[in-house]
Amino acid sequence: MTHIHIPDGILPVPLWALGFVLLFIALGLSLFRLRAMDMRKKIPLLGAVSAVMLVAMSLEILPIAYHINLSVVAGILLGPALGFVAAFIANLVLSLMGHGGITVIGLNTVLLGSEALLGHTLFYLLRGRMQIFWRAFLVTVVSLFLVTLLLIGMVAVSDLDPGYFTHEAEQGHAFKGHISIATFATLALSLGSIGWLIEAAITGSVLKFIAQVKPELLSHVLHSRNKAGGLS
Amino acid sequence: MIDVAKIDYWAASGSGPLHRASVISKTLFLLLVVAAAVAAKDPYPLASGYVVLMLSAAGAGLPWRRMSLISLYSATFALLYGISLRGGPAMYAVMVLKAITPAFAMLTLIVSTPYPKIFSFLSTVLPEILAAGLFMTYRTFFILLDMMDNFVAAIRLRGGFSPGRLLQNIKNISQGIAMLLVKAVERATRLYGVMAVRGYSGSMAEAGTGGFRRDDWLPLGSGALVLFLVLVWR
Repeated sequence: MTHIHIPDGILPVPLWALGFVLLFIALGLSLFRLRAMDMRKKIPLLGAVSAVMLVAMSLEILPIAYHINLSVVAGILLGPALGFVAAFIANLVLSLMGHGGITVIGLNTVLLGSEALLGHTLFYLLRGRMQIFWRAFLVTVVSLFLVTLLLIGMVAVSDLDPGYFTHEAEQGHAFKGHISIATFATLALSLGSIGWLIEAAITGSVLKFIAQVKPELLSHVLHSRNKAGGLS
Repeated sequence: MIDVAKIDYWAASGSGPLHRASVISKTLFLLLVVAAAVAAKDPYPLASGYVVLMLSAAGAGLPWRRMSLISLYSATFALLYGISLRGGPAMYAVMVLKAITPAFAMLTLIVSTPYPKIFSFLSTVLPEILAAGLFMTYRTFFILLDMMDNFVAAIRLRGGFSPGRLLQNIKNISQGIAMLLVKAVERATRLYGVMAVRGYSGSMAEAGTGGFRRDDWLPLGSGALVLFLVLVWR
């Protein structure tokens, strides 16, 4: 629900151009934060998590035809800066495969990158307060809720029929005629909440599994800026 | 799903004009086709553009039939979106063509260019971490798709996926993704280690755009023709 799948040439130019401006600013800040990190650990992890995000996005959960993003998992495992980079890579590859236009890469990366940022921040704020499954579950629901509000805000400032932005529209059961921003917000928050719960359950299960099998991936040491020297 | 081994084979084994053309010209070709898709309002010019792309691929000895089939993958999402707009057949056609035309152009680039050349080019225009991340993602993604297909087939054979059992589906998918993530990290770490041992230090050995060549007329000409058709034929 929190990213846009529409082809090129639909969104107004100022809106997707703004998306690219935001993307460049956020990507620039992310790369600045990453300049001193140990890339020997980060690059394989970045590639693996981005690839798993892409695979997860290609899976449909029956019967509601929902697909997950795993952006919160990316944020928790990679940290906010690298999580944003993973969101950009996933969106870039998806758009090159025709899953959403190239012009919406900026907006989509801002949305998914925000999920990664929120997911990472909230997950570490709640450290030690509850079991990992429920912590990840709660963090995912809150992150997706906040990013859905961001999507609604984005729709509100555009001139388009809000029905264009919905996942439900993609599934063929769209709304007839023009719908108001209030109706869109109600639909996005009510129908989207089913998706948040599914994504939260999957995120919780994935992180619980990782905590049992490969706990070093959740270690905060991986996110510390403890090694200089770029990629080498 | 796309078979990376086959794409690698096509990219490395061909010798037609598109294989000989420079990466920068094929990237410009892709951008011209994307610009055409953005600007298109009617299905006919874009459909003609798609035919132009198929003809140039066929003329250059690329597997254009397979490429057309693969490009249709992107039509699914676009068609569903087009149907949601309730604009009639012309609207559906525009939506589908806006998706498949850039997808075909992208396929033209990747089946006529060995991936080290693509990533060499990217490493000249992108920061190292983005180019390296894209490279690792590209190599890992197709391996994981294969592993996920096997996992989904195994789960289906054992009755693990069924439309009426949402909780069971979620539980099974979670386990599959978690296992995939751990394996992906291990494989990517091993791949990166092997590359580092062979001298990889953040940039590709042949980093550079390579400049323009004589055979660039085909990608630049066909890309410009697609954009011209969309802009003029209104």
